[in-house]
Amino acid sequence: MNKIMYLEFERCIGCRACQAACRECGDHDAKERNYVEYVDFTESRQTFPMLCMQCKDPACARVCPANAIQITDEGVVLSAMEEKCIGCRNCTFGCPFGIPKFDFEKNKMYKCDMCYDRTRHDIAPMCASVCPSDAIRFIDFDEMQQLRRKRTQMNLVEGKKPQEGNKWDYVPEFFGVYTDQS
Amino acid sequence: MSQFLVKEGVKNQIRKGEKLVTTHCCYCGMQCGMHIRVDEKNNKVVGVEPRYDWVLTRGKMCPKGVTAYQTIDHPDRIKTPLIKKNGKFVEATWDEALDLIESKYKGIQETYGKDAVGVYGGVSMTNEKCYLVGKYARVGLGTRYIDYNGRYCMSSAAGGFNKTLGMDRGSTLPWTELEHTDTFFMAGSNTAECHPTSIQWFWKAKDKGAKLIVADPRETATARVADVHLDLLPGTDAALANGIMHLLIKYDYVDHAYVQERCNNFEELKEMTAKFTPEYTSKLTGVAAEKIIKAAHIFGKSPRSVVMFARGAEQQTSGVDNVSLYTSMALLRGQIGKFASGVATFTGQGNGQGGREHGQKADALPGYRKIANPKDVEYISGIWGIKPEEMPKEGVSAYEMFHLMQNKTIRALHVICSNPVVSSPNINYVQDSLEKLDFLVVNDFFMSETAELADVVLPATTWAEDEGTTTNIEGRVIRIRKVVEPLGESKPDWEIMKLIADRLGKGKFFEYNEPREIFDELRLASKGGKADYYGVTYEKIDEQDGVFWPAPAEDHKGTPSVFQERFATEDGKANLAVCDFRGPSEVQSKEYPLWLTTGRVVFHYLSGNQTRRVDFLMEQCPEPFVEMHPELASQYQVENGERVKLSTPRGDMIAPVKITKAIRKDTMFVPYHWGKKLAVNQLTSPALDPFSRMPEFKVCAVKLEKLTK
Ligand code: SF4
Ligand code: SF4
Ligand code: SF4
Repeated sequence: MNKIMYLEFERCIGCRACQAACRECGDHDAKERNYVEYVDFTESRQTFPMLCMQCKDPACARVCPANAIQITDEGVVLSAMEEKCIGCRNCTFGCPFGIPKFDFEKNKMYKCDMCYDRTRHDIAPMCASVCPSDAIRFIDFDEMQQLRRKRTQMNLVEGKKPQEGNKWDYVPEFFGVYTDQS
Repeated sequence: MSQFLVKEGVKNQIRKGEKLVTTHCCYCGMQCGMHIRVDEKNNKVVGVEPRYDWVLTRGKMCPKGVTAYQTIDHPDRIKTPLIKKNGKFVEATWDEALDLIESKYKGIQETYGKDAVGVYGGVSMTNEKCYLVGKYARVGLGTRYIDYNGRYCMSSAAGGFNKTLGMDRGSTLPWTELEHTDTFFMAGSNTAECHPTSIQWFWKAKDKGAKLIVADPRETATARVADVHLDLLPGTDAALANGIMHLLIKYDYVDHAYVQERCNNFEELKEMTAKFTPEYTSKLTGVAAEKIIKAAHIFGKSPRSVVMFARGAEQQTSGVDNVSLYTSMALLRGQIGKFASGVATFTGQGNGQGGREHGQKADALPGYRKIANPKDVEYISGIWGIKPEEMPKEGVSAYEMFHLMQNKTIRALHVICSNPVVSSPNINYVQDSLEKLDFLVVNDFFMSETAELADVVLPATTWAEDEGTTTNIEGRVIRIRKVVEPLGESKPDWEIMKLIADRLGKGKFFEYNEPREIFDELRLASKGGKADYYGVTYEKIDEQDGVFWPAPAEDHKGTPSVFQERFATEDGKANLAVCDFRGPSEVQSKEYPLWLTTGRVVFHYLSGNQTRRVDFLMEQCPEPFVEMHPELASQYQVENGERVKLSTPRGDMIAPVKITKAIRKDTMFVPYHWGKKLAVNQLTSPALDPFSRMPEFKVCAVKLEKLTK
């Protein structure tokens, strides 16, 4: 498995299919783990998705006093283990992207696990599968590199830089790397 | 035989103890491919799996599609027939319900004539069912009064296409070609919300440098990234299209060889568009002249363009004109009938295409045949086994049927797959009309606002409990599979029609055991017509990813691109539209100084009877709202989230404000998916297009009031 989750914010149309689909994943308990937000609805309909970056050295796992957050061999950062999680919510504060969510009923953290059930068999995560706009993609490392290069070129050609008057046309790009290309 | 269809090399997740059944979404015209997860032990539907290898949608779905399976085993499902006694529904057996229907229908028809019982159909169901609704009305009941909810959806597109191109296929090209298109001109379509999975094709084309021109009073997700956003006043599409054509002629972007060879009326069009200078067009539409000019240049220079439109342009009193004019833009550029070029409408309902082809419309018979044409009547009578004299005459359009209920011409009504007290314009009148009926029967699987008014409610099945075909947004006939057995005592609509026909002594005309037999009859009935399905078979659909009609012979593969050589008009030439700007039926006044337009949100489908019962969708969008520009809000001193009152002479409603700059300053938008007090259709205008009889949902003059706290 050497696939990348690639996000292109400006493609997002705000349909929230990714969230509906996240609920459908095997161990997801009908709770979505991803986010879709308006940048600023008063100005524009632009929305963007946010999901776990599967950090290589995840802050959530580091700040967990109970060692409840496991990282798989492939580098996927899993939800807290039920038997270990003590419900302290450190992870929810520690994550710079605000990814981990908290289940107050079960007193347990849950988060995007990149649909580990699927991705470990090389099947795309639910959100990337359904996203109608390809704002979320599950693609090969090479394809990601190509897309990245194209964007940089485009930015250079068009001298793209957001200005006060058109900042809504541009939202920063972001991508999450699933595994290392070594 | 396995009902799971997957191409080689494509992986899906199949969990232990589960199987997948391959089908399509039940909602919009995109008809996204999906697999439904079924627990093999108890045969219950448990979820959805993307269908990565479906050619048009590639696993993608909107949130309605993802959650569609949740309606199948839903606790609100109606599981037995219900009969209203003393104002309350009581569960009944099928025999009791059918006894009552039989005696009422017979009694009313004996006293007042056959036409006193009407049928009101819908197109969110398979071709097999849609076809049968037409036959049920004409043969089963012998009534002329039949029409359907597609009248509110696709009738103007149909009218415009028939006038200009001679045939109404929603798209002249397969949408898998769209990624190679280099300019899209989209009018009155919020496709990101109404047909979300189409976005992949537009974004793909955009990645390759395609240009996008969007005409919409709101800055939708597509308008936001458009090269030109033509932010026109609702109801002014005719002026805009004439204005663009004026410039196409002025700057000589016209494909003269094509127009000469394949189109009529060019001189007349030239004369008509002469006055639509950018300045004049700008005055009528409220769009800056520079934007109109820029759009015309982009569109004019583009070698491969597609003109697309949807209800925004069609749900107007000049809907047919708008469609004809926009289509003429594509004709002037010589685009129709070529690769990755052409014209298309966004079909709203799942089977809005197929359902309008086979005789649910007041004036139509299967295969786009006409009831006014004696030859057509003779052919269909032959297929149905009746005498041509027995074929009822043409009826009236959906909204006009309510007038006939008011004056007691129609005394009983059978509503199949529709919820007209939410989806019609001016619904206070519509509700009153239905209340005036002596007898109302409604087939549905959830208690809709219309079903609440019924005397008998018959439990229908959901789309996943019956098999058949639908025809998607492109004109591609596809297969819907039966996933599970019908819940409780529910029955598919075709079986219900068969049972009633049988009670009325017409059983021999409805001897079907399964949908495939109905489809085979439909194939014959449509044979030789414009929408010719004769060569479409269930097997062929599976083999070649659907079959595009027309497919006139058994060995015909279907026709993905139409009009490559000739148009379907009598002389084979397209008729360019020569239509002046007429403007909407309502004008602003002192009392009603603002514009109101209506539409959909991505989380709901049509009257909301299904999507309002799905948790995820309701969490996202629980109630209607009034979208308005911050300047308008400040003028009325209302803030975000504050409840305001909207009114027209027909009705009023209260809803919270949603403030955004992504809408015109003089126009408000309210989505229409709710009934009763939350229904914006209390306010909308019932003025009809003179040709298609499409109501003007998209434009009315409205009053906005701040509520005193
Ligand atoms: S599914 Fe895609 S387009 Fe829709 S909200 Fe999520 S990221 Fe945006
Ligand atoms: S990768 Fe899976 S778990 Fe993560 S947000 Fe997407 S659907 Fe949810
Ligand atoms: S509603 Fe339309 S776009 Fe959404 S999943 Fe169903 S068919 Fe696809």
